[in-house]
Amino acid sequence: MDLTALLLQQMVNAIFLGSIYALIALGYTMVYGIIELINFAHGELFTAGAFIGVIVLSALQQAGWVESHFVLTLIIVFGLAMAYVAVLGVAVEHVAYKPLRNSSRLSALLSALGMSIFLSNGMMLSQGVSDRAYPQVFGLQAIEILGARITKGQIFIILLAIALMVALQLFVHRTRLGKAMRATAQNRTMARMLGIDIDQTIRITFMIGPALGAAAGVMVGLFYGAVRFDMGFIFMIKAFAAAILGGIGSIPGAMLGGLIIGVIEVGWAAFLPSAWKDVTTFTVLILVLYLKPSGLLGESVSEVRV
Amino acid sequence: MKKAAIIGLCLVLMWGTTGMAMAKTLNLGTLSPLTGPYAQDGTDIKQGVQTAVEVFGPVEGFDKVEVMPGDSACDGGKATMAANKLINSGANVVIGAYCSSATEPAQIPLMEAKIVMITPASTNERLTQKGYKYFFRMPPRDDVQAWSTVQFLEKKLQAKTVALIDDKQTYTAGLAANIKRFAEENNLVKIAAHEHITPGDSDFTAVLTKIKSINPDAVYMSVYQPEGSKMIQQVRKLGLTSAFITEDAVYHPKFLEVGGPAAEGVYLTFAKAPDTPERQEFEKTYKEMWKVDSVGSYAYYAYDAAMMVLAAIKKCGTFDADTLEKTLRENTWQGVTGEIKFDDKGDRKLAHIVWIVKDNKFVSYWDPLTGKDL
Repeated sequence: MDLTALLLQQMVNAIFLGSIYALIALGYTMVYGIIELINFAHGELFTAGAFIGVIVLSALQQAGWVESHFVLTLIIVFGLAMAYVAVLGVAVEHVAYKPLRNSSRLSALLSALGMSIFLSNGMMLSQGVSDRAYPQVFGLQAIEILGARITKGQIFIILLAIALMVALQLFVHRTRLGKAMRATAQNRTMARMLGIDIDQTIRITFMIGPALGAAAGVMVGLFYGAVRFDMGFIFMIKAFAAAILGGIGSIPGAMLGGLIIGVIEVGWAAFLPSAWKDVTTFTVLILVLYLKPSGLLGESVSEVRV
Repeated sequence: MKKAAIIGLCLVLMWGTTGMAMAKTLNLGTLSPLTGPYAQDGTDIKQGVQTAVEVFGPVEGFDKVEVMPGDSACDGGKATMAANKLINSGANVVIGAYCSSATEPAQIPLMEAKIVMITPASTNERLTQKGYKYFFRMPPRDDVQAWSTVQFLEKKLQAKTVALIDDKQTYTAGLAANIKRFAEENNLVKIAAHEHITPGDSDFTAVLTKIKSINPDAVYMSVYQPEGSKMIQQVRKLGLTSAFITEDAVYHPKFLEVGGPAAEGVYLTFAKAPDTPERQEFEKTYKEMWKVDSVGSYAYYAYDAAMMVLAAIKKCGTFDADTLEKTLRENTWQGVTGEIKFDDKGDRKLAHIVWIVKDNKFVSYWDPLTGKDL
């Protein structure tokens, strides 16, 4: 492998990992933007999406749909996973966060942690403790470009991740609901006075964020080949770091943060002692927060969010 | 007066209950990761012991045999807590733990409490070199495993370069260090790279791409099964052409299930057990009892450990550590993993062979002791 091929390959690796982190980070940042709460259950919602994905995909594979209706299969798998987790997200909000909306932040935070443990254990009991194999519908074949290899699955996942992020941006900036979300994030009291249904806006946020996380969960399963009830933890930590790095509350910030975390992780492991990979990632996070406490694209607390 | 009466009552209750428990029940504690990434192996171990208790039936002198599952979570702190909990709840013998990094700290309270401990899985050689006379080990040690691997690299694969990947835990790092030591002693295989990953991670593409650019003849994956299963898929997707060799922690039906076609052609080291009718009988019982299609690799060792302990207690009539330790050491036991005879350190004489994944099965491939194909 020559140097160009090596650099290109590592870039593919970094962008792939970064776009998954970005999708998960969006869930954190949107929820924080609108109700200033770190949704610690987000990692479990991501895992739940991965599990719905594997259950549906395995069933469709047995029915022979993967061969006959490949595209339709993918639409069904992603659609069902995202829809299920969107409903789950709203349920989590209704049960664990809504009753505490006017109490102290600490209570809501504890409630979020409790929800995370509850969901994680629920998945452990219902789905078992061991890895569950994801059907490898994209196969192992890869396309070679200048010596770097990228699989069809990776291309599909990166494109889908970009499409979802573009769609989200359009939704937030071009639709009435998106406008309502931005208004609620800016000033909830004022938005209510102007006739915006706050509860509905928050519910929609809790549908979109977790749905994006669910899509990321299915992507992780499709590429890495296995899901387990506790897999959300490591992804949650990295995505949370990405959200903070980009400026929590800022949607473009989460996307940028995800990519940066991906690039740092891959870049460090690729060219420097790999044992220090995670140390470096979090050192960069601390440095950014030290120099710019609001994150890269974040604005100071009193200003506009989302 | 009232205070004294309450204290007295408490003491009576305490003695009373422990007295009752000790008189009639034989408590077989297990330590294995029931939660966390290695819960599959942990569950295999627990179920192996439970199968043995079921198969062995009643033990003379005891009303019943009870299994007390402890969760060591592949974590030193949690394993020590679980060990203490087992001691406090009256475990008489402990079978466990799985990860060497959990077994090592759990040894301390158990040895102090004079409880015989048998590990069905931990292979780091340090564990039996501490002079603990109540500690026994079922699988062969990692220095034996590393020696077999280096023999295979030199003689069979005739590799000139090898890259090592480990995840920095006691077992994985120890094994990689052993490979390095043997390779450097013989000086036939050069260590081209030594990379590290984080346990629990999913993405290993960066490290694998780095190794691809070095293009070594062979790559040694010193990881546990969950990471190994994901890593081998990325190896194929990135198109690495090196031979891949891995070890006893990856030797598990789950590796075949998750790895699928990507696992084809991977070499593994694992001790070979004779295919006896007892082994087939055990597999049948286990599959029926737990409603599974395959038996986890460490369920065999756990089953053997439990059967052996029950037989030894039946023979010497007590679980007292000093008597039991002598009985275990002085006799030769027959198990589904072969003949069990412990040396003065508590290790068995078992050798590894090299296996290859072929048509989604582990097939015996090469014997490091004789240097012949199998």
